[in-house]
Amino acid sequence: MTLQEFVLAGQWIFLAYFVGINLGYLLQNVVAAHGIRRYLQTAEQYEAENVFSALDIPISVVVPAYNESASIIQSVRAMLQLEYPQYELIVVNDGSSDDTLEKLIDAFDMREFPEAYRARVECAPVQGVYRSTRISNLRVVDKENGGSKADAANAGINMCRYPLVCVVDADSVLQPDSLRRVVRPFLEDPTTVAVGGTVRIANGCTVKQGFLEKIGLPSNFLALVQVVEYLRAFLFGRMGWSPINGLLIISGAFGLFHKETLVEAGGYNPKAVGEDMELVLRLHRLMKAKQRPYRITFVPDPVCWTDAPENLRDLKGQRVRWQHGLGQALMLNKSLITNPRGGAVTWVAIPFYMIFELFGPIIEVAGYVFIILCGIMGWLAWPEALIFLGLAIGLGVMLSTSAIMLEELSFHMYPRFKQLALLYFIAIVENFGFRQLTAIWRFQGLVRWLRGTEHKWEAITRSASLAETRQIQLKK
Amino acid sequence: MEWLLRSDFDTLTTIALWSIAAVLATTVILFVYTVGLRVATISEGQRRRQFLNRWRDVFAMSMLGWASMKHRAIPRIRRSDRIDLLEEWNRARSMVDGAAVDHLIELAKRAGIPELALRLFESRRIQSRILAVQTIGHLRLAAQRDAILELLDHDNTALSITAASALIDIDPDFGIELIVPMINPRRDWPKTRVSVLLRQAGSARISEPMYRAIRVEDDPGKTYLLQFARLMESEILDALVVDLLRESADPGVLNAALKLVSGFAGVPRIAALTQHDAWFVRMQAAKVLGRVGQKEHLSLLESLLDDREWWVRYRAAQAITALPFVGPNDLRKLQSRQKDRYAVDILQQSFAEAGLA
Repeated sequence: MTLQEFVLAGQWIFLAYFVGINLGYLLQNVVAAHGIRRYLQTAEQYEAENVFSALDIPISVVVPAYNESASIIQSVRAMLQLEYPQYELIVVNDGSSDDTLEKLIDAFDMREFPEAYRARVECAPVQGVYRSTRISNLRVVDKENGGSKADAANAGINMCRYPLVCVVDADSVLQPDSLRRVVRPFLEDPTTVAVGGTVRIANGCTVKQGFLEKIGLPSNFLALVQVVEYLRAFLFGRMGWSPINGLLIISGAFGLFHKETLVEAGGYNPKAVGEDMELVLRLHRLMKAKQRPYRITFVPDPVCWTDAPENLRDLKGQRVRWQHGLGQALMLNKSLITNPRGGAVTWVAIPFYMIFELFGPIIEVAGYVFIILCGIMGWLAWPEALIFLGLAIGLGVMLSTSAIMLEELSFHMYPRFKQLALLYFIAIVENFGFRQLTAIWRFQGLVRWLRGTEHKWEAITRSASLAETRQIQLKK
Repeated sequence: MEWLLRSDFDTLTTIALWSIAAVLATTVILFVYTVGLRVATISEGQRRRQFLNRWRDVFAMSMLGWASMKHRAIPRIRRSDRIDLLEEWNRARSMVDGAAVDHLIELAKRAGIPELALRLFESRRIQSRILAVQTIGHLRLAAQRDAILELLDHDNTALSITAASALIDIDPDFGIELIVPMINPRRDWPKTRVSVLLRQAGSARISEPMYRAIRVEDDPGKTYLLQFARLMESEILDALVVDLLRESADPGVLNAALKLVSGFAGVPRIAALTQHDAWFVRMQAAKVLGRVGQKEHLSLLESLLDDREWWVRYRAAQAITALPFVGPNDLRKLQSRQKDRYAVDILQQSFAEAGLA
């Protein structure tokens, strides 16, 4: 192959990738817009007529906690006020080295309790179970550190008594009606095995008593970009896959599962880097192997607010981890890739994820290198290159604009015109630097997975708005 | 920017150029649409607030007593207020009972709500039709009964269940006879709404049709309908449960029926079900025996303490702890004679829960 042929072949590969990914996203956008419209039409009716009754399915809420001393009391207090008729709260102290357990014992009058523990899914040994003497639906499981959130979640799953399990991050801020919203698919379709909801960025919001008091946008640029990113990822990313039952991920920050199916699948995989995605893929694999009809659904309602990294180090760590987790999760469930009866998951969702999400960074980073090289060598036709660059940026802005439109159409969480303007500004500027940076980080994550590097967990710096507000509350 | 206007670009670049134009145009349209939505939301909110300011007192006074409202003029209804008026009226109507209903219906007639509802009923928009059907039901417009009846089989879940609810509002006896046999085939109807609908009709009215429907359904149908059976009159429900426990061999039906046991009838059969193959039937039977069991059932419950299923062990232990004739000393003796580790553990948990540890 001559150099000229090589350059030409490279051009066609980049072009095919570019057309494929953008067509994919555009299609998701259309499906998501239709899905959200339909969802909102029925939601109003559902809200108006919905009354709590004995027919509501009880839920076990599992909260894995590791060194959450600063915020755990506030989080638990908030979670005890969720609007749902019957639920229990199981906090799992995953061998914290701080005083998380002691704080829980003091704040809720917990007493050690001789629970006949049953290990249905694998996890590190449980050292004790505590029950609150004041709050009947609160239990705390104290266990040895298992090295992962998945291990702690499994211990919680073993303690659950209700048919549905909701696994929630200890530092997540939940909407008071989040359980009522995510349970809806289970009431409407008995074949539902898992439901995810929209996760939003809490940075810039005011949190009081563990609940969101005022919704705002962060002043930190990186967090602000992630607000737009999350809108894209959830409002059309996830909502676009849900109608074809091709959802491959339910955020670890908040997910509702049918307990028996979860146990049958073996619970979370403690060795998985992206345990949330790995679980959803395994659920797909299990249900297809058993040839049982099932639904894994997404509701667009904002149910949970989470802290986004505000510095480059944490953000890089997160993105590298996500990419590593994606590769590992797909490989751990590779039989799903080759299952001829895999339906939309095998034929649409997994190929899209593999080509564009998993191996996409190779093409993207190679593209940047290719353009720089061609520029240096004087092979670049500048007008044409600028036209394609303009198209790439234009499509990026258009997709973000579409996500902002879906947000406005559905939940309009950012009611001020200034906030809207800021979101549009970010939709434009994120294309200059941020996207390229994340492509490089994702590439690093991919390399890490391909080399089989063991993942190490690092402490993440909390955003000032969330952490400080909570600490102020505690001091008071 | 002169280079952009060149005419010698290859086909691909020309397509890319046109794509940029299309993308730009779409982005601008999306932007304008979003800003338009924001402006519309704000002005809609203001208009709605004004509407509520004008009508809130009128609804409240109507509900409290029509007499004071009779000679009072009602606010002028603008075209843009019509949907809000119907929604608010329905909301108010859903909250009241007795004489207040008649007062609200009188108010509706003065405000022209029946005419509005009938006009909306002809709409092709599902949401409008749902609102119209709800209003017709709340107004008890008997002349529309047959038109509503046709909507019961509609593919749209929300419309069909709203029609069911309206039918019960208009003619409850007629409606419930039709609707109860539809509950099982229409599994798309949300259970909470079916439950509300049955409650709306009242237990006296639903008991007979529910009894008949449950008797004739197949096993999955029986299991499904039994979820709503708690709303039936207790005498009829008890008789039904005893019959089902005696006759049925289906684990699903037995499980659902055991959940509804309230009296002491059929205890020997319940005791026998503690040995059933399905663990959830054993579990429910153990739970019921905790309420209705006699001394002779203690050994049966004790035998369940080392069951392979945790829930059976747990319910058996809870049942033993709850038996009124088993005192703390008996419980301690019972625990000390257990050889199985699981039995000891579950008894310990159960005793702790009951404050006996």
